[in-house]
Amino acid sequence: MQFDIRDWRAWAPGLATPRQWRDWHAHPALPDMAAGQPDVSFLPAMQRRRLSPLARMAFHVAWPLAEMQGAQPVVFCSRHGETPRNLALLTQLGLGEALSPTHFSLSVHNAIIGLWSMFRGDTSEMTALAATSEGLELAVMEAVLLLQAGAPSVLVIVAEENQPEVYLPWIDDVPFAHAIALQLVAGTRWTLEPCASEAKKEAREASESGCPVPPALRLLPLLLGDEVSHCSGNWQWRCTGQ
Amino acid sequence: MSDLHLEVKNLIIDALGLEDMTADDIDSTAPLFGDGLGLDSVDALELGLAIQKHFSIKIDADSKDVRQHFASIDSLADFIRSKQQGGQ
Repeated sequence: MQFDIRDWRAWAPGLATPRQWRDWHAHPALPDMAAGQPDVSFLPAMQRRRLSPLARMAFHVAWPLAEMQGAQPVVFCSRHGETPRNLALLTQLGLGEALSPTHFSLSVHNAIIGLWSMFRGDTSEMTALAATSEGLELAVMEAVLLLQAGAPSVLVIVAEENQPEVYLPWIDDVPFAHAIALQLVAGTRWTLEPCASEAKKEAREASESGCPVPPALRLLPLLLGDEVSHCSGNWQWRCTGQ
Repeated sequence: MSDLHLEVKNLIIDALGLEDMTADDIDSTAPLFGDGLGLDSVDALELGLAIQKHFSIKIDADSKDVRQHFASIDSLADFIRSKQQGGQ
């Protein structure tokens, strides 16, 4: 698969600009969880109020990219989705309480793209995916198919929020809340293809040291122009020229 | 503003996540839905739930008067007061 990435944005607590990400990539460390929520002040208060932390991250990274393009399809991907909202609903059920209509209506996996479509007045095709640690790659594949079907550009958003403590023994791919958005257009500078087994081995060895990096953020060295190839799980990324 | 009016306004702000508002920003006579405060149908359900929980009263959602009771802060306060005074 070939394509271009016209622009990107990523967010984690205290990390928002390319400069901050570059510094972080040079010395990776767990972000300061107390560094606050992503800024979504570009939305009116009445729209902002129902956004979960996951939705805030997704809007924060993707909105500025969308402002430069106008209507375009969105592929949103999250492995864990609105788990905190769902846990809140399950807890209410367990206590025999009435369910919060707000939590209920926004707990589904495609709630965020629904809000996106409403807030932006964009009726382009919107897709919500859930995948294992290959979410970014599968979302990009979906986006490339949309480009091939004629879309001028496609927004890819991958986001995961901090998970409720009760689920933590089973979750190992969200060391901290994070989101990344890519604006994909047709092109040949970027390649994504199945990984050769030797590269897989190298990737495993490389990932055994240092601060845990969420799968989707392992693309940062390529986006920052520090590296030209990267193997993530079953996928090989390559970028030629900036 | 009566204590009950203030209580209802604060409940609306909390339950509906109106993070930038204070009780003083809400006009007791203005419509809650549509043109006034601008609440929507999900807010109506959320607010109904919050009021039932907070004031330990029961609201019959099928009653045709519900729309009127939820028209403004004033009408909502009147409705809650009547329920609390044994109009169950």
